[in-house]
Parts: sequence; structure tokens; C-alpha cells
Amino acid sequence: MRDLILQALFSGLLIGGVYALVALGLALSFGAMRIINLAHGELVLIAAYAAYVVEARGGVSPYWAIPLALAIVSVVGAVLFLMIDRIREHRELNSLILTYGVGIVLTNAVLLAFASDVRTTTAPALQDAVTLGPVYAMAGEIVAFGLSLVLMVALWWWLKRSWYGRAVRAVSSNRAAATLMGINPLRTELVAFLVAGALASFAGVALYTMSVVQPALGHALTVKAFIVTVLAGVGSIPGVFLAALLLGVTEALTVTLASSALQELAGMVLFLLVLFLLPSGLFGARARRG
Amino acid sequence: MLRRALVAAAVTLGLAAGCPARAQEARPGTEQQIREVVIGAHMPLTGSLARSGQAFDEGMRVAVRLFNETAQGLRIKLQVIDDESAPAKAVSAVEKLVSDGAVAVIGGYGSNIVGPASDAANKLATTYITAGAVSDELTARGLKTFFRINNNAGYQRGMAGLIAELKPASVSILASTKEAPALLAKGLARDIGAAGIKVTVHEFDPAISDFKPLINKVKLQDRSEILLMSAYENDYVGIIRAARVLKPPVKLVVGAWSLATPKMYTEFPDLMNNVVGTSFLPFPVAVKDEEGRRFAEAYRQAYGKDIEYLSTLSFVETTILAEAIAKAAEAGTLKSGGLPETLRATDRRTLLGPVKFDATGDNPLFSLAMGQHRSGQIVLVSPPAAATGPISYPALPW
Amino acid sequence: MASPRAPLPGLALAAAFLVLAALPLLLGASNYLLGLLISALILAGVALAWALLGNLGGMVSFGHAAFFGVGGYASALLAGKLGLPVLLTVPLGGLLAALASLAMLPALRLSGPYFALAILAYAQIFRILATEASSLTGGAAGLQRYPGLPTVFGLDLASRPGAYALLVALVALGCLAYAAIRRSALGLALRAIAESEDATRVVGVNSVLLKAWMLALSAFITGLFGALNAHIIGFLEPDYAFAGSWSVLPIIASVFGGYRTVLGPVGGAVVIYLFDQVVAKGLIAVGHQILLGLLLVAMVLAAPNGLLGLLERKGGARAGA
Repeated sequence: MRDLILQALFSGLLIGGVYALVALGLALSFGAMRIINLAHGELVLIAAYAAYVVEARGGVSPYWAIPLALAIVSVVGAVLFLMIDRIREHRELNSLILTYGVGIVLTNAVLLAFASDVRTTTAPALQDAVTLGPVYAMAGEIVAFGLSLVLMVALWWWLKRSWYGRAVRAVSSNRAAATLMGINPLRTELVAFLVAGALASFAGVALYTMSVVQPALGHALTVKAFIVTVLAGVGSIPGVFLAALLLGVTEALTVTLASSALQELAGMVLFLLVLFLLPSGLFGARARRG
Repeated sequence: MLRRALVAAAVTLGLAAGCPARAQEARPGTEQQIREVVIGAHMPLTGSLARSGQAFDEGMRVAVRLFNETAQGLRIKLQVIDDESAPAKAVSAVEKLVSDGAVAVIGGYGSNIVGPASDAANKLATTYITAGAVSDELTARGLKTFFRINNNAGYQRGMAGLIAELKPASVSILASTKEAPALLAKGLARDIGAAGIKVTVHEFDPAISDFKPLINKVKLQDRSEILLMSAYENDYVGIIRAARVLKPPVKLVVGAWSLATPKMYTEFPDLMNNVVGTSFLPFPVAVKDEEGRRFAEAYRQAYGKDIEYLSTLSFVETTILAEAIAKAAEAGTLKSGGLPETLRATDRRTLLGPVKFDATGDNPLFSLAMGQHRSGQIVLVSPPAAATGPISYPALPW
Repeated sequence: MASPRAPLPGLALAAAFLVLAALPLLLGASNYLLGLLISALILAGVALAWALLGNLGGMVSFGHAAFFGVGGYASALLAGKLGLPVLLTVPLGGLLAALASLAMLPALRLSGPYFALAILAYAQIFRILATEASSLTGGAAGLQRYPGLPTVFGLDLASRPGAYALLVALVALGCLAYAAIRRSALGLALRAIAESEDATRVVGVNSVLLKAWMLALSAFITGLFGALNAHIIGFLEPDYAFAGSWSVLPIIASVFGGYRTVLGPVGGAVVIYLFDQVVAKGLIAVGHQILLGLLLVAMVLAAPNGLLGLLERKGGARAGA
């Protein structure tokens, strides 16, 4: 039993690392622009397929796909941003519809280009077992978790220390005041959006190296990422990371202690409990009640 | 500017997609003496089941091509509609196909889709055949126009037969909570349990992405000798990967459909060796009969890959249907509702074994062999009558 | 609210509906076309319920599939296992969906996207419960053998024309009820809440209670259409009854048609569904949803107030010139 629980905790942490990677980008664009980007999961999906192309057609390690993924996702992200920026009325609702539409387009574009076969890395080195005492993992998962941790710290540092990072926070808390301080809000939001896209690129490549990818996955990723964002509460980057780990561990413990059929149920119940009992999320600063 | 670009893109896409369709329509008129008959089909070409739908689609197309090459005075045209795995859309598809003149409809994937769609076909007195719906509820309806070549019992027989031959002390079944895998797992647990073997069933949500906590239960709690998977390709990959990392003390990994195929080995060589799944052909394809050889050849030519399980299922159902149509057309009963009787008179050997239909439209002879991946080859290991070699046991992919 | 307009008189609304409804039947539309219209009207009913909640309750929901699935399962089980007449079980399905909305009362205190996602979580939870409670619901294998719609006064509701007529009548009824509530004093209070909840609290309106009623009403309508769909399709499984598309498509339809109006969601549902199934599918067999996606994007950019808003603007421009 002890070994079962230890393994569940460990597996949960590792999968939580990827949830965090997907959620950080969504949380950033949500925090900066008050826009829920429903195409975020599809941006991750594009990056994952870039990794597939590089590995299967190029014959090299999928990590080499990161520059390619960054380039493609940045272009798609910039176009998406320009479209969102043109919305004048009912911005919250219309941006949902717009990004949902873009998500449909991207999912089907991936389907047309790559058919619907399941894809995942075939590199033996990434699939090999890594043993840490009583617990086991796949090498790809360890790398992905490390990547997630590094990017979380980098993002946190960027928001806290860099000029653009501070500008993002300023625009997010008071757009008008930030404009008066000489910050170009449009450019700042674009930067935030592109950074979110970059995070999605890393997430996609990481996902391909540790899990199975298919075209219908994008939407599920978006929902999971949003759940993490809400669990964390708005405005806390380490909070997003911790909330993602919490979700991963909850799911894994449900499989171990109850049934694997109830895994999604546990995640949703946790989500509702946090929503009802902790109005500003686990780590957030702002209230979310009406 | 952006708006104009979008409109331009939409128009271009529309034109690009519309043109070839129109070009095709113009052709048949030139060969007037040959009678053209339309077979309709609805398949999930998009969405989460698109993988299955596309494989079915390929098998159907090759079957129609081969049939047309040899048929005399009859030309079959295939019209396929994407049902998007939605029952209402499948029903609409059947209605459209029939109103467009289809004499029969080939059904899609999943009992929840095939059920309503075959009901609609029955109301329109149109023959409906499927290879993608295994629920017993479908044949319990007693529809006169409904046929299927495979069923849950056949998969169950194949897998439970292998387990009975190996006589392990205990088995763990990992089953997706989707309809077909859940049904199969239920039947298997009953059959295997009745043979006095200890069975533990672990159902999992299809959204699961990490199987390690689950495999760890098999490893530390069940300590089973055989790991049975009732699931789909993405689950197989996840399960075997997790097992490869955790190395539970099982002696064999067995799965259901779409597992013992050359394609799975080509794509996941590190995961598949020694894994057993339902199969019908050894690989390299040692097809003894002419039909199988022609299919494998034409398929390779069209799609650049080896035949696989789902495309073979749809090849067989399409071929049987096309032959029945030809017979009914010859007897002059095609227009007067004679197709169901002609189809019911089918009794022939196919790539999947003998096919015959009972009063409910089911194929009681459906039973699959079990094939084992062996370093890129697939050896049929069970039942003894179909075996092309002895099973490697204990044998694992890691 | 863009501009205050004279509310459409209920009679004119009803007459317009009846004319539109009779058209396909009079023109002798094929079963195929009627089938598409039936699917579109079911979507229209859910879209109407969604827009009602948004406009009168100020709540955006991402999880109407929860009510749709509960309505469908409740009606199918009551008719199939208890043998109750389908004409009774369909409204009971709606009632049980409304009852299920009571479980969501804690979510009423949440604002904006948080409420939307809480409802989405409920839809997921209901789906998993339906899968797990297999002794009652048949689990993942689903429910199949339960009665279809009956014949009433010589009209076979199970036939395509019969089901079509029934759905038109119910969608029209839904529109009338929605319009009536909107015009009443209650509607005024509700819209005030939707605009600013704090202000209304000050003048003594019990906003939480009113919102709860609107949620229950929206759930009732959604459950009703879910029940009808279950009897028209004749097969239920959790993945289908609680599918995300029952949550998403009504939103798209409403926004597309203009969610601030009564008729917008209905028109949006019909246009979207027919566009996707007839036009887009005709152009691209595989991946035709790509055109639906492009249409949505173009619509949000070109006509953020929906189809009705666009028509109005065009009409206004012409009148001004």
C-alpha cells in the first residue's frame, strides 16, 4: 500500500507538471487580457505535431522541434491576437466564440494534415524507465517536469523583473492608468500573448515526448488548463504550478485508492469545492464572486 | 483587410473542394450500357473516432474498386458521408443517402450510432450492413434489413479461448468505459471467471493519460499472470508504456481489436513485441486465397501500407454486400426489395473466416484468431485450428 | 441593450412561426430535410434556454449538456422502466432537469466565467455518474429499448413531419414564454440584475432567488428538449447525452443569431446547423467543421451583435440614407 501511494504521488506530480505547462500560458493570457483563449489547447496540439514531424520525418530528437514549434505557434498566436483585438463589443463573450472558432479550424487543419492516427515519441531513450527508490517514471516525463519547473521560474522572474513583465502586470491591473504611465497596452498584451504561445510550444513538445497525441486532444487540454487556472486563482504564477500538481496528485490518488473510472470525477469535485469554499482560489488575490 | 482575407480563404477552400467533386460527377455518363448502383456509407471521418472511420473508409474504397474491375455490366459507386460520431447526423446521412438513390447503406462505428441509423434505414426499407457495432441490443430488435459481420461474442470467444488454453491463475482486465470495450470486458470477466480463474477488472475513464498508478495496482495488488486490455490504440500505447516502466510480474499482455496489426508494430516497435491481440491473418501476409492477396496488393498500392484489421473488416462487409447486390440485380429483385433475402443467403469464406447471417442479421460464425507480435512478424497462436505457430509464453514486450 | 425597441407582439410572433413551420410541410420536404430541421430545432430549444439564462439571469453557462442529459435519461428511464406514457415523461424529464439545477445553487454566487465553468464541471460529473450507475442507466453500453414518441389525435409524432410539427410548437411556446417574462415586471427586475447586481440589491430585489428561478426555468426547457431528443433518436449513452456539443453549439447558435433577442438563438441554431450540414459538408467531406470555424470567426469580426444585429444595422443604414 505504501508503495502504491508513493507511486501515485510521484506519477501525479509528473503529470501535474505538464498540466502546469499547458495552464501557465492560458493563465498568462487570461490574467493579462481578461480573455479566455479557447484555442490554447490547439496551440499546444500544433506544437506536439511539430515534434512529431521533426522526429518521424526528420529522424532527430523531438526536442529539436522547439524552434519550429515556437515559430509556427507565434505566427498563429499573433494572427489570433490581431483578430481578438478587433473585437469591440461584448469582448468577453465574443472573444470566447472567436477563439473557439479558431480552435475548430486548427483541430480540423491538423486532422486534414496528419489524419487521426495516434502519435507519440518512438525514441527509446525517452521511453526508458527511471527508478528513484520505490518509484518509477519514464525518462520523457522527468525531462518534461524539469522543463515545466524551469519555465515556471523564468515566467515568474520575467513578470516580476523585466520591463515588459511589469508592463503586463500594470496593464492587467489597470489599463487606463498603465496607458497614462506611457505603456503601450496593445503591444504589451501582444507580448503577453506571444509568451503564452511560447509556453504552449514547450508544452506541446513535452506532451509528445511523454503521452499520446491525437487531433481531438486540443479541447480537452484547454478545459484542463482552465480548471488549473481557476484552482490557482488569478495572478499567481507559482500558484498555477502548485494547483496543477494538486490536480495531478488528486487524479492519481483516486486511481490508486478508488477506481480509475472516477479519475475525472475527482478532479471536477476538487474544482467545485475550491470554487465554492475558497472564493479567490487556492493562491489568488482577487475575489471571483458577483 | 483581415475580413477580406478570411472571405477569400473561405471561397478558395470552397472552390478547391468543390471542383474535383463536379469533375467526378461528369464522368459516369459516358459509359451508358453499364448499370450504375450506389452504395451509401456513413462513417466517423472527424472527431474522436475518426481513426476508425478513416480505416473503414479505405477498406470500402478498395473493395469497391476490386469489385468493379471484375464485375460484368454493373458498376458500384460509393457515397460516403461523415456522421461525426453523432446519432442524429448518422440518421440524416442515411436519409440523404437513400433519397440520393443508394440501394444499401454501410454503417459506421459504435452501437449508439448504428442503432438509430439502422432504424432509419429499416423505416426506408433499405438494407444496412455494419462491421462497427457489437452490442447485442442491435440484433435483439429483429430488424429484417439489418446485418453485421462481427459481434461482441466473437471477440469474447477469441480472447477467452486463448486464456483457457494458457490456464493462468489470475487475470487483470483493464477496460475503457467506452461502450464496446466495456461490453467486451464484462463478457470476458464472466467467461474467464466461469473457468475458475481469478479476474480483477479495472475500468478507466478514456480521458486518462497516465496508466502508472493503475498498472501499479496490477503489479502490487492483483499480481496477475496475464494483463488483458479492452480498449483502443491510444490506450494500448499508454498501458504498455506504463507496464514497460513498472514491469509488473505478468507473463503475457493481451488486447482486443486493432492491436495485432503490422501498423502498430511499425509505429511502436519498442512496445509491441510479444503482445497478443485479436487477428485474422498472419504477417507477413501469408494469404492463401486469391482474394486476400488482391486486397493486400491493391491496398498497398492505394495507401502505401499493409492491410490492417479495420480496413479488412470493411473490405469484407463491402465485398459481401456488392456481391449480393450483383446477384439481386441479376435476378431482377434489386428494386423490389429482394436485397435482404439475397444477402441473408450469403455463405462464403472470407478473410475473416466464414460469414453467414441468421434471422436477426448477426453472423454467428464470427470468431477471431489471436495473433502475437514477434519481432515484426505476426504469428497466429490460437485457436489451434488457425495457429501458424506456437505461442511464446511467458513473453513480454520489455 | 443596444437600443430600446418596441417588443414584438406575441400574436405576430406566433403567426410568423406558424407560417415558417408550415412551409416545409406544405412544400413536401424530404425526410432528410425534415430530419435536419428537427436536429436544428432541438438545438434551437437549448439555445433559447441558454440565452434566457444569459439575458434574464445574467449568467453564462458552459454546461447546459448537464440538463440536456438529465432530461433525456430521466424521460427514457421513466418511460422504459416504469412504463409511464411518453407524453408525461417528457415534461417530467424537464422537471427533473430543473430539480438537478438545485444542486448548482452554490454556483449562483459565482460571477462570470467562474459560474460558466462550475456548470461545465457539473455536466462532467453527471456524465461520469451516468456511466457508473450502470444498474440504472445501463452504463457505457447505454439505453436502447424504450418507447418512442406516440401518436396523438391521429398525428404520428414519431414520424418526421409529426416530430417536426411538435418541435416547432414547443420552440414557439418557449419563445412566447421567454418574451412574456421579459416584458413583465419580473423581467425588468431580472434585466436590472443582469446589468448590475449590487444596485438591485440596494433597492430590495432578492436577486439570488430570482436567479435560482431562471436557472431552474432554463434547465427545465433544456431538459424538455433533451427528453424529446432521447425519444426521437431512440438510443442514449452518457458520452452522447452529456456531450460537450450540447453545451457549446447552443452558445454558438445564440451568439451567431444575436443572443440579446428572443428569436436570435432560434434563427442562429437553424442557420448554423443547416450551413454546417448542407453547405459545408457538401464542399468538404472530411473536416467540414473548418468552414464552421471560419464562419464563426468572420461573424464575430463582422457582426458582433449576431445575425439579427447585422440585419438591423443594414436596415438602419438604409433608412438613414
